[in-house]
Amino acid sequence: MKKRIYHNPVGVGKYTGLMLIIPFILGFLLFTLYPFISSFILGMTDYDSIREPVFSGLDNYASMLKSREFRNAAWVTIKYTVILVPLKLTVSLAAALLLNMKLKFMGVYRTIFYIPSILGSNLAIVIMWQFLFTSDGLVNQLFGLAGVEPIGWYGNSNGAMAIIILLRLWEFGSAMIIFLNALRDIPREYYEAANVDGCGKIRSFFVITVPLLKNVIFLNLILQLISAMQEFNAPYMITGGGPMKSTYTVGMLIYDEMFRYHNAGYANAVSWTLFMLITAAVILLFALTGRHKEERV
Amino acid sequence: MKKYFMAAAICCLITLSACGESGKTAVEPDGKLDPCTLRFSWWGGDDRHEATLKAIELWNKKNPKIEIIPEYGGWDGWTEKVSAQISGGTEPDIMQINYDWLISFSPDGSGFYDLGKLDKQIDLTNFDEGVLSFGKSDGVLNAMTVSVSGRGLFYNSETYKRLGADYPKTWSDLIALGEKFSSEDIYPMDLDIQSGGTAWYLAVVYVQQQTGRSFISMDGELGFTEDDIRNALDFYKLLEENHVIRTVDVRTDEDGSASLYQSAEFIDGRVAGVLEWGSSVGKYEMALPDGVLEAGPLLSDDNGNCSGWMIKPSVMYALSNNTQYPDEAAAFMDFMLNDEECAEILGTTRGIPSSRKAEKHLEEKGLLKGLAQENDKLLENLDTVTISPYMELSQMKNIYNTIIEQVSYGKLDTQEAAHEMYISITEYLEKIRK
Amino acid sequence: MKKFLIYFFMTAAALVMIYPLLWLIGASFKSNEEIFSSPWFIPKSIDLSVYVKAWQTVTGRSMGHYFLNTFKIIIPKTVFAVISSTLVAYGFARFDFPFKRLFYALFMGTMFMPAIVTVMPSYLMWSRLGILDTYIPLTLPALFAAEGTFVFMLIQFFKGIPKEFDEAARIDGCNCIQLLIYILVPCIRPVIVSISVFTFLWTMNDFLNPLIMISSVEKYPLSLILRLSADSTGNGYEQNRIIAVSVIGLIPSVAIFAAAQKKFISGITAGGLSG
Repeated sequence: MKKRIYHNPVGVGKYTGLMLIIPFILGFLLFTLYPFISSFILGMTDYDSIREPVFSGLDNYASMLKSREFRNAAWVTIKYTVILVPLKLTVSLAAALLLNMKLKFMGVYRTIFYIPSILGSNLAIVIMWQFLFTSDGLVNQLFGLAGVEPIGWYGNSNGAMAIIILLRLWEFGSAMIIFLNALRDIPREYYEAANVDGCGKIRSFFVITVPLLKNVIFLNLILQLISAMQEFNAPYMITGGGPMKSTYTVGMLIYDEMFRYHNAGYANAVSWTLFMLITAAVILLFALTGRHKEERV
Repeated sequence: MKKYFMAAAICCLITLSACGESGKTAVEPDGKLDPCTLRFSWWGGDDRHEATLKAIELWNKKNPKIEIIPEYGGWDGWTEKVSAQISGGTEPDIMQINYDWLISFSPDGSGFYDLGKLDKQIDLTNFDEGVLSFGKSDGVLNAMTVSVSGRGLFYNSETYKRLGADYPKTWSDLIALGEKFSSEDIYPMDLDIQSGGTAWYLAVVYVQQQTGRSFISMDGELGFTEDDIRNALDFYKLLEENHVIRTVDVRTDEDGSASLYQSAEFIDGRVAGVLEWGSSVGKYEMALPDGVLEAGPLLSDDNGNCSGWMIKPSVMYALSNNTQYPDEAAAFMDFMLNDEECAEILGTTRGIPSSRKAEKHLEEKGLLKGLAQENDKLLENLDTVTISPYMELSQMKNIYNTIIEQVSYGKLDTQEAAHEMYISITEYLEKIRK
Repeated sequence: MKKFLIYFFMTAAALVMIYPLLWLIGASFKSNEEIFSSPWFIPKSIDLSVYVKAWQTVTGRSMGHYFLNTFKIIIPKTVFAVISSTLVAYGFARFDFPFKRLFYALFMGTMFMPAIVTVMPSYLMWSRLGILDTYIPLTLPALFAAEGTFVFMLIQFFKGIPKEFDEAARIDGCNCIQLLIYILVPCIRPVIVSISVFTFLWTMNDFLNPLIMISSVEKYPLSLILRLSADSTGNGYEQNRIIAVSVIGLIPSVAIFAAAQKKFISGITAGGLSG
């Protein structure tokens, strides 16, 4: 067996890193491992949270694949993720670039831009969205002024998906902050030098900003991807998954099966499936961006 | 290296051993009232909280040795909380429960304490045999019915007066009204689909009245045939087509996720009627100016046959199987159900009491009035059907909503929809009963 | 001129971001009918009694009590989360050690699992340990880097700091921990501020965990009281009170954010290089 070489600075033992991650290891053993294992096992049982679970092998997975509800939810989740994530990254990066300028009152703007994210899943949002998007809501009234046909948002599959995506897009604050954290690390001299070399604003964005931000763009991409694929709250509050399940995500399906339908075995099987879907999506992203080498920590 | 593995293994053991403990048997009643502290939990709105807290205060004053600790919150998430508590064996001694929880939490009657053993503390004689039987699961008395309720029809009297219309008495009246009102784009009534299949409820009443068959029996057998279901869905479609109710599409566009009573259409009278539980019609009443909402007759067929309307217990009380003080907890339950002073404080915050003693006292004090009471009276004089708890399960409501949406959006014709619904319901009931 | 355009654009955008909030504050003074009839946010009349009523709550304790409860959860949780996430991220980002790839994979895995899966098992665990109805189940996991997002964030930012910094510090005689505290943490201070703010805001909004873990009403955090006051199953339903309750609940979050926002962008490097 070949002996592994540990690439550490001189004088640092191979256990130093291990000591540092002890909180994670303990936390994993105490709070994560047991739920993971029990959920994996329950996923292979028929369990209603009250009576003893009965082993049923892969039945839950089989009926999941057969279920039209699950296939629909998976499709909805993928559609939602694919539309939302790129939009949100673009908007939050643009906002961060604007707010990073050294101008007066930027603090006020930063706070205002973050306010929607503070609202999060507050109940008030439900009332607000109704006010904006019902048939004679503010948005349709503005459409009327602009001479555009009003749209039925809530009652139509695409409209309902759109208002959920708009809600989450509007809450771009957290991604924006992560970008702001990173932008301040880019020395101004880089841009000045580029300017002298005759680089335009747009070119210097692609030549300087994007390469220097690639760690953080990737970070936001992964974080947004995970939260979009696990989405539950926004459709739960705004559309209840409707109309005709057109906004019914896998996250909602898991919640309903777990708590409302007392079908915990099945819910756990779906959770593991979602887990595998997310893992696959992340691995795919690693491969596509060529980061698998860099992420090899 | 070894010691890391040791540490890891120990942690693992601690966590995993935590799940070994098994359930213990319930404490038997001893007929005495010992000093103790008991937890009582319920969900509800502010009016219920306020009244219940006052009632508990009264109890604690009268029985200083048996202290009641209140635990309460909104309905949102409450089932989840109680599910967690029951699977952890940490549920409160006394709980307000929902009708369908009897099936979810106590399918064989062993999930809650057997109240039959506690008739020394709870005065069962104040309840009709029929009312008592609501709380039985597999023959074991698991819960006491606090109040019974049924859905009734309530109308916006101003709109009806303005259009010169009487409240409908028969189904044909109702359908005629739809046409009559449609020229002004007013709906004689509407249904709140998202909140659990009101539409299906009305359609079921219609078919039950026609056929005399119950939709689902008390022990979870489907009573309707596929044809009955189709008949019900056809009836629903008829309501939509005749402008009696809004289509799902229109309603969702106009109201978003708002309940009917919060919607502009209901508040300004464009939707002029509603099908709602007598026990919770108050929020509709409050949404309109005083006295505008009025109770209308329950609909009958053209021959005056008015059977098929349904009732169910609106809330119930149950005792935990894990309570250490069954006698004391039962005594408190009796207080909440039968005590006159307590009844006066609670009023109708949990509906009109099923306990004859409490009801009589409220009646004497003049506390029974309003739409809830009127609806109760209407139902009392009819040949009603008791809703099966199986009809109320969340998964069942999901099936009704899904099918009705498909029919309303025209994705399925009623024959296909009836077939799908019949199969889904049969499969689900079979699964849940085993 | 360019500046003017920027301000114009930013103000327009800011209006879109904040209008709903203004409308919300306005709506807290409106009657049920007025709320949906007018898109304009200024109410017909301002009557503060709705806030007084909302502040009192039905439980016999004022909202102030529940704010305090929330802080009893947030403060330890934030401190725990910052310390543990920084240590773990530092370990992953800067050192090589046995089974590193296995642990990293496990770590990433914890982020992918839907959180709802762990709700019931952890409830059962805390219940067996007999510490339900305390704040321990809500705060203690933070001590063990439970929020994978933060660790992942910090790892990415640690990687952005050139390794030459470390070497220079080592030559000056710093040990690993000194290096972390005196050299690396100041470099990523904005990120640490972000983590604290995120912990604050997310804990403020967390509903399901406290709902399940806490059963005594006097120990409820604010999020539970908000839902309790906003329950719509009751018969006394006033929309504007629900909104008022929400608005009160938002104040600390907005205040914390406004106070912290400057720290998101100012740090040693920025000050040093841009001056």
